[in-house]
Amino acid sequence: MKKLILIMLLAGSIFAQEVVELKLPNSNKVVIKLRFQNGSITDPVGKEGLTHFTANLVTQGGTEKMSYSEIQDFIYPMAASYYVNVDKEVATFTFQVHMDFLNKFYPVMMNMMLSPAFSESDFQRVKTNQQNYVDQVIRASSDEEYSKKALEDLLFRGTNYQHMKQGMSESVRSITIDDVKDHYKNYFTSNNLIIGIAGNYSNDFLTKLKNDLQKLSDAKPEIPEPGKAIMPKGLQVEIVQKDNAFGSAIFAGFPLSITRADDEFAALAVANSYLGEHRKSYSKLYQLLRETRSMNYGDYSYIEWYDNGGGNMLPPSGTPRTSNYFSIWIRPVQIAKQLKQQYEELKEVEIGHAHFALRMALKEIDRLVQNGLTQKEFETTRDFLISYTKLYAQSPSARLGYLMDSRFYGREDYIAELDNLLRDLTLDDVNKAIKKHWQVENMFVTIITDKSEAGPLAASIKENKPSPMSYSDQVKEGLPEEVLQQDAEAANFKLNVKNVEIINSEETFKKKEDKVSL
Amino acid sequence: MKSKTFLMLLLFFLVFANFNFAKDTGKILPYKIHQTKLSNDLNIVTVPFDSPGIAAFYIVVRVGARNEVEEGVTGFAHFFEHMMFRGTDKYPKREYQAVLKSIGASANANTSQDRTVYHMTGSAEKLELMFEIEADRFMNLNYSEHDFKTEAGAVKGEYTKNFASPYQQNFENLKNTAFDKHTYKHTTMGFFDDIVDMPNQYEYSKTFFDRYYRPEYCTVVVVGDVTHDQVVSLSKKYFGDWERGNYTVEIPTEPKQTETRYTHLQNGSIPPYLGLHYKGPAFNDKEIDMPALDVLSSIVFSQTSDLYKKLVLEERKARFIGGGAFDSRDPNLFSIQASLINEADLQYVKDEIVKAIEKVKTEGVDEETLNKTKSNLKYSFAMNIDAPDNIANSLSHYIQLTGDPESLNRLYQLYDKVSVEDVVMVAKKYFVQTGLTVSTISDKEMGGVK
Repeated sequence: MKKLILIMLLAGSIFAQEVVELKLPNSNKVVIKLRFQNGSITDPVGKEGLTHFTANLVTQGGTEKMSYSEIQDFIYPMAASYYVNVDKEVATFTFQVHMDFLNKFYPVMMNMMLSPAFSESDFQRVKTNQQNYVDQVIRASSDEEYSKKALEDLLFRGTNYQHMKQGMSESVRSITIDDVKDHYKNYFTSNNLIIGIAGNYSNDFLTKLKNDLQKLSDAKPEIPEPGKAIMPKGLQVEIVQKDNAFGSAIFAGFPLSITRADDEFAALAVANSYLGEHRKSYSKLYQLLRETRSMNYGDYSYIEWYDNGGGNMLPPSGTPRTSNYFSIWIRPVQIAKQLKQQYEELKEVEIGHAHFALRMALKEIDRLVQNGLTQKEFETTRDFLISYTKLYAQSPSARLGYLMDSRFYGREDYIAELDNLLRDLTLDDVNKAIKKHWQVENMFVTIITDKSEAGPLAASIKENKPSPMSYSDQVKEGLPEEVLQQDAEAANFKLNVKNVEIINSEETFKKKEDKVSL
Repeated sequence: MKSKTFLMLLLFFLVFANFNFAKDTGKILPYKIHQTKLSNDLNIVTVPFDSPGIAAFYIVVRVGARNEVEEGVTGFAHFFEHMMFRGTDKYPKREYQAVLKSIGASANANTSQDRTVYHMTGSAEKLELMFEIEADRFMNLNYSEHDFKTEAGAVKGEYTKNFASPYQQNFENLKNTAFDKHTYKHTTMGFFDDIVDMPNQYEYSKTFFDRYYRPEYCTVVVVGDVTHDQVVSLSKKYFGDWERGNYTVEIPTEPKQTETRYTHLQNGSIPPYLGLHYKGPAFNDKEIDMPALDVLSSIVFSQTSDLYKKLVLEERKARFIGGGAFDSRDPNLFSIQASLINEADLQYVKDEIVKAIEKVKTEGVDEETLNKTKSNLKYSFAMNIDAPDNIANSLSHYIQLTGDPESLNRLYQLYDKVSVEDVVMVAKKYFVQTGLTVSTISDKEMGGVK
């Protein structure tokens, strides 16, 4: 279906312009989303980060008529807002304005899209910030986000999906202003645009919007095939060591062949919600690792990309993807250095909790693959999702975003269709989907940790050494026998480890091919 | 240029010609806030809102890190928020989770310096069940000592994830430096030594629950596809028997600061950072100080300010500059923060920030910018109230500060009254050297900013 849409768009007919509408006559504002079917996968080799850069220079720069600061001055009393979000396969500009100002804001918005200035001073400012992100921010601000990006670096190695949307240190450095101008002309065109509009607007306004956007470049963008995630042989573990890390942050994952486009996705959504619904205390990983064993702040699983998991409670729109993977997120667990300092009884421990946590999580996934859910577990989780998914899109902007994502997957309204799919599911559908799509034999694992922890942890994982859970006495004394029994089994759960590598933080996101893993 | 100015002026008049927020009431929130106080002093707030089938159910407890007056128990309000998910006799933790799951809601809680908020957004048809399980845990929470000790580990895990950020480390240092006596000295997470000691505080946790989880500290807020009568009726049914407490906490008064303070974090893994933190006022919806400071912060530190244009856009000395006051129950900090390109510019950027403030003191601000700022504040708010959660969050913010959600409307009425003289007055009153704490992060051993 998606290919059909692309072909339609590439035909370049004005009448083929796809529009997603959400009329809300009682709303006091208008939300416009301009989505271009190109994301970081269209970055040229050696210029990774260019799509993100180009889109951000549009929103953080001036136009031929107004400088960036004149735009800010002009829209200040209106409190109008705009931003762009670039992902692997799409770039979405979002504009929000109160209906009182729609007609006044409109020319500014249109100038931004049709005649961005791409001035040297704006270029330098945006470049410095993007350079800083790839050089410093990703490594220093959140080890959790870092481990997630490091996982994608392994899963998609050698493909156009590998690099962060912001690019890499060398590639960002090499981007020139001419690169940006060319990229905008060739990839932000009327031929790969989908218009989204929500709120209180007239038909005349929409007609004008559609007509004006036809003045975008008429180039025919060549969008490459999205890279596919790689199924590793065995467990391929990358430990990233850095100074003064306070814990071990873990992500692990393997390719998934289905997406929202497939009806079977609903079955896997139930399984995933049961195993590790994002930020929910009634999921298994959370209960096993956090609630029972107080190992960290939370543990979740995902069957598609979840943007900014540390900040979002509900899944945001705007990141539809063709290439998919399953992942688990184990939030930072204690390292040996900290345990030794805090508990006299643990002064002899050699490694912290990362190895045990990984085993515990994989053992639970393995149990699901072997045994599946029970009828009751299936029903309660399915019923939960039928209600919960309605909350994904509460604001006009979120509703519009979800509708536009639906089109990417060849659907009209994913949330409504998911409701029907969930209601039609059986336990057998769910357990079959688990067996078909999940396993614990082959996956990539990334762990961001302290230099003091990396060596002993690598040795422990590599040699499949027993990794008994090291509780403080205070917690241990109250644990029921059943938990201790589970611990003993998890501590010796054999992982199919094929390779463990330690790399320094400065070396991450540099490799293009991985000879060892593949 | 002249024609542009003319256009801007024209626009300005059009802005106000079209300004139509809640015309009849003069209130920023275009929806009526219904309030009823039960006989046990539990406050009930309802805002019916057009969100078919969906309701946001919040409980605001006016207890936060501010209440942690005793030594050794910092971080306890936040820790206690975690314990509230550990079950009751009627719904032990697994049963509680099962019921919560059956509601299909987005539910969680969070704590800050002045309050703890429990929130649940889901099907309006499940409102009664939401009331039942929330009332049960607020009135009958019962957890074992083992569960208490276990949960302490999760809190340490939360600290561990947060501590990965140098900005969080800097924030801890800042609070510890800027305050001497007041409990704003520690972050909501608490001092690390206290977090490590949390498993030993089981008895204190019961005292904490007994003191603060009482109706007089709480407000129930429901926004969405509901009526006030329905909400009051459910409140009476489920919270009506909740006994009022009698505890009042005495928060130490912060002595007047007498000289500039400094704190520095040596860390070269992020861009150089500069923070100027002035002692500001407490939130107050009757006095002009806080609204005037909000207006000032937008004029002097937002992306349209001269300072931002100079340092970020023209000279590119800074990646970012921003500033604003913390809304809080007691006097807190007004923080101006900048992320720099080069460490060598720390002093220059500090001087430029101070210069911009001094300019307000001596020259004031222009009337047109003042009015545009007021328009910005109002339209920003109006654009954001498009879902029950957003409205409930906004009301909760003001309930924590004064106990009354109408503070929201009063604050925006005060914004309308802020004059140039008010802005000058607060600039002179609060931006003084003796009330300043400078915080820096760089790869150098010392901050080096005077």
